[in-house]
Amino acid sequence: MISLAAAAERLRASVVVVRAGADGRAGGGAGIAWRAGGVVVTSAHVVDARDVTVVLPDGGAVPGEVVRRDPRRDLALVLAPRAALPPVRHADPARLRPGSLLFAVGHPLGVVDAVTTGVLQATGPLPPGLGVPGMPGDLAWLQADLRLAPGNSGGPVADAEGRVVGVSAMVVAGLGLAVPAPDVEAFVAGEALPRSASGRTPRRGRRPAYI
Amino acid sequence: MSADTNALAALSDQLADAVAQAGAATVAVHGRPRLASTGVHWRDGIVMTTEGTIRREDGITVTLPGGDTVPATLAGRDRGTDLAVLRIPAGRLPVATKGDPAALKPGHLVLALARLDELGARAAFGAVSAVGGRWRCWKGGEIDRLVQSDLVIYPGFGGGPLVDAAGRIHGLNSGGLSRSLATTIPAGTVDRVLDQLVERGYVSRGWIGAAMQPVRFNPAARQRLGLASEGGLVIVAVEPDAPAAAAGLLVGDVIVSVNGSPVDDPAQVVEALAGDAVGKSLRLDLVRGGQRANADVLVGERPRERR
Repeated sequence: MISLAAAAERLRASVVVVRAGADGRAGGGAGIAWRAGGVVVTSAHVVDARDVTVVLPDGGAVPGEVVRRDPRRDLALVLAPRAALPPVRHADPARLRPGSLLFAVGHPLGVVDAVTTGVLQATGPLPPGLGVPGMPGDLAWLQADLRLAPGNSGGPVADAEGRVVGVSAMVVAGLGLAVPAPDVEAFVAGEALPRSASGRTPRRGRRPAYI
Repeated sequence: MSADTNALAALSDQLADAVAQAGAATVAVHGRPRLASTGVHWRDGIVMTTEGTIRREDGITVTLPGGDTVPATLAGRDRGTDLAVLRIPAGRLPVATKGDPAALKPGHLVLALARLDELGARAAFGAVSAVGGRWRCWKGGEIDRLVQSDLVIYPGFGGGPLVDAAGRIHGLNSGGLSRSLATTIPAGTVDRVLDQLVERGYVSRGWIGAAMQPVRFNPAARQRLGLASEGGLVIVAVEPDAPAAAAGLLVGDVIVSVNGSPVDDPAQVVEALAGDAVGKSLRLDLVRGGQRANADVLVGERPRERR
């Protein structure tokens, strides 16, 4: 029987719960150990304060600090030096073809480290007519037939081999959207992300559900 | 890599191959404002899509897998089966490789495909949930087989193909036929409707031009007339010049049976008008004015404005 268990198990070891606030009681999302030494990536909309609490896979909670935040790309960088976690392997989703299997790890509606599966639809801007008001129309997303829910935000979307290809961000018209891994890597490295070239930003469109 | 990971990677590759194969015959259809819908290059120069996604008759265009956008003309549409036929220049892309929907069973892995922009074919993944025989959808059309799946028909996926793991196309997915499970218009129905739309420009449906409703017999009358069934269908209106009028049917006649089969639900008469009933005769057993009677009605074609 084909199973995702091995790949999911490996990935779950690098996924944390991120809660806003030092007391860790506010709502939160997921985070990914992107590099060794407690470098954790999550969604910008998960963390609006500087101090966060990072809950490790073993259940222990350690403090973290938001050191960089990009609301437009919906990414935040959290440093949690006491979080000794194996960093994930990541890959460019542009390498994958539509129909390729994907899986997400996150905490949808509070279910910690839940795995959901699906397939890749496309990597690139949302199709015309599916734009989100106020979001640059040429912003690239990993778009997936994948069930995501509040609590998945900031968690990984991985390919069949367990390589992280995106960071879960939101649901638009049922479609799961994740920030493509190369943008995440550039953000972590402190590189400027490409700005919208055309500046085409729809005023009307679908309302996103932030997850 | 573990054996599991290898097997998963192989499945992932197989699904992507299926998307690539079927996607080569899958086009984006621009026939409504804003979001595109999807169509399948069913025969050379002919794209089939769902009727509900075509909101204009002129200025329709189709984006091909290579990224070119070509003009398309609406060659026919049938609301009843939710199918529309578009003509595009011939020889521009491969024709869909079809599968046999009768071979699909619950549990078979399937994909729904779409093309909405220049990013390539899109896919949703799931399993066949239910299969069955011929059925009539709420829009009134006959669908030759029931094929339902747990696929998510995302905005724009309507009119796109249902694809098996080998990349064969089994029909067109419709977002408008069912709310619970995704419903596919099977290849046989697509072929049948396409033939009729190309030949005649419309789908011929049987029609007699009478309105009726169920009625129960009183036990005494039932016994006196020797009726086997407890009820029938009372005719409440007959349209002028309709086949029912030509056969002499009158308001107040009660239809007891059609071609020898008892009827007590108008759907049974509709069923008798399905398929190739047009041009054939129906023998109606009646109760008229307290006496047994019968009539032969020559089934006509439903007038265009009522299709």
